[in-house]
Amino acid sequence: MVISLYIAALKEYLRDRTTLFWTLAFPILFIVLFGLIFSQSGGSTYTVAVVNLDTGPTGQRIVQVFQSPDLAKVFKIKTGTTVTDENAFQDQLKNGKIDMVIVIPPGLSQNAQSGQTTSVQLYYDASKQPSGQIMVGTVQGVLTQINQEMTGKAPLLQAQTQSVNTTTLGAIDFLVPGILAMSLMQLGLFGTTLPIVSLRERKILRRLGATPLPRWALLTSQVLLRLTITLFQTALILGIGYYAFGVHIANPAQTAGIIVLGSLMFISLGYFLASIAKTQDAASGITQAVNFPMLFLSGIFFPLSDLPDFLNWIVRIIPLTYLADAMRQMMINSTPSFPITTDLAVIAGWTVVCGILAARLFSWE
Amino acid sequence: MSDDLDAIHVEDVKKYYGATKAVDGISFSVRQGEIFGMLGPNGAGKSTTIEMIEGLRAPDSGSITVLGMKQPQQKQAIKERIGIQLQTTALYPLLTVTEILDLFHTFYPNHATIPTDDLIRMVNLEEKRATRSKNLSGGQQQRLSVALALVNDPEIVFLDEPTTGMDPQARRQLWDVIRELRGRGKTILMTTHYMEEAQELCDRIAIVDHGKILEMDTPAALIRKFFQDVAIEFEDGITDVDAYKNLPGVINASIIDGKVTLHSNDVPQTMGALLSRERSGTANFRDLNVRNATLEDVFLKLTGRALRD
Repeated sequence: MVISLYIAALKEYLRDRTTLFWTLAFPILFIVLFGLIFSQSGGSTYTVAVVNLDTGPTGQRIVQVFQSPDLAKVFKIKTGTTVTDENAFQDQLKNGKIDMVIVIPPGLSQNAQSGQTTSVQLYYDASKQPSGQIMVGTVQGVLTQINQEMTGKAPLLQAQTQSVNTTTLGAIDFLVPGILAMSLMQLGLFGTTLPIVSLRERKILRRLGATPLPRWALLTSQVLLRLTITLFQTALILGIGYYAFGVHIANPAQTAGIIVLGSLMFISLGYFLASIAKTQDAASGITQAVNFPMLFLSGIFFPLSDLPDFLNWIVRIIPLTYLADAMRQMMINSTPSFPITTDLAVIAGWTVVCGILAARLFSWE
Repeated sequence: MSDDLDAIHVEDVKKYYGATKAVDGISFSVRQGEIFGMLGPNGAGKSTTIEMIEGLRAPDSGSITVLGMKQPQQKQAIKERIGIQLQTTALYPLLTVTEILDLFHTFYPNHATIPTDDLIRMVNLEEKRATRSKNLSGGQQQRLSVALALVNDPEIVFLDEPTTGMDPQARRQLWDVIRELRGRGKTILMTTHYMEEAQELCDRIAIVDHGKILEMDTPAALIRKFFQDVAIEFEDGITDVDAYKNLPGVINASIIDGKVTLHSNDVPQTMGALLSRERSGTANFRDLNVRNATLEDVFLKLTGRALRD
């Protein structure tokens, strides 16, 4: 009974060309767009022009440090020695072809020998955050190093950086778990609530209700169908992310587990919404009303710490917060916002509560 | 009261929606093996009544017994043994006739079923078995929906306005299907707002309006009871029914959409009076027609309005 209903619903689904197209297109568009946007910045290097107008040894030393292999990961260096070069680089900076111009002023070596401070000029587009901060920080590090060489004083304090992660992560790696959590939510909400309300509006549910078919059998078959579709779409997102954009998945098995739990949670939330929405219009309104606050208050697009305090309680009750956190922990071993057990407990809690409410409130007509 | 031959027994059933009395104290019994028709205009309470008997709605008060079981308490057990065709049947639009029937078979794991091929033959859909349901014509969809009501070889078949929206040919095809069901010993409870259909098919009829049963009997008995007479129909510019009531022989007069219907127990007298009016120029008849009374006339007399208002 459940299986035959599942197969019937799956056939209906696969025979609807438009739906099928979006089932494939939505995840592909999603990951390709985000992939293209975020794999550009963050992970890649900055092009920096160093114009050395100084003729002494200090200027040369600075250029040398910038060209060292250590910095090559971050900076792609172009060099110049004349004011003409500097003007050409400034133009390229304005056109966005290079990210920063560093000008070592003439007479820097003499000033250094006579103990005078000289300013090295940095030109960059301050509106491009956070790349500006990263570049300025790196340049300051280089200058500090040279200062020490010249004064001969060993640094008393030194920060030794060590990545928590064994692999180097790009910006896309931090975003993908959030995006995935978000797409699970949208697939669950829009993929469940609207089709169910439509089944009811078209009175198909009513016809099924006129047979001895038990309610649980119908619900189970529908949950299985939604789960199949969601898992297929998630696999598409992750597959493209992995092969095309080098997205990392630290713990594949656990990640898969979280994905299943997450989709079940949102499918059951979707059913709950479908049982309170009477019409298709009401259903889209209600799903949007749930969708939007979750999108912006769950820490997917910006850190939770940036949100004002009075919104904190919302952040702490919405399920997407915990799903995104669990997903990040499993995929990139990120620093947890909550212990993983809390995440799992909240996800399970939402699934069960929505499931019970849906089963109680769900009506065939 | 109910006896062993009653497939359905309904006693003083009421269903109110706010101030609207959808069903206002209906009682009747349907014997095993008969076709029982509920006849009435849209909104008369037919569908609400049939849906309460099917177990799709719960009555506010009164008692319903189906095959000896209480509705709605034994709803699940009753559903196993009845077949329901709903007024608006929505099906999986992208599944084929065969696929939909096969799917419905799985809903009756504990009950004997009629094989899909036989069902398709019974409703004459052999050529459409591999057609997706959205590509069927209205009449074919309706026949598929009747086939769905027969999957579990039910003892009682409920048909809610089964021929609404069909062309005359499709309607007659479905009538044949319904007659064949009676031949198989099924009890059929159907609603309709087509007089002709009720008169053709039904063994007994309940005329329903405003949530109440006005009359209940065989079609022939109902006509006999109200009319030992003949109907005279014509069109005329006159809209005042009183202009005809006092003509000799006229026992009932009505005007619907400009069409005058007179019931007369003395046709020569009545006709003579009408013709003298014509001659004197006070009337101008068109489409004059004399016929025997039908259920339509019974309905008109009972409710004061035409059925398809």
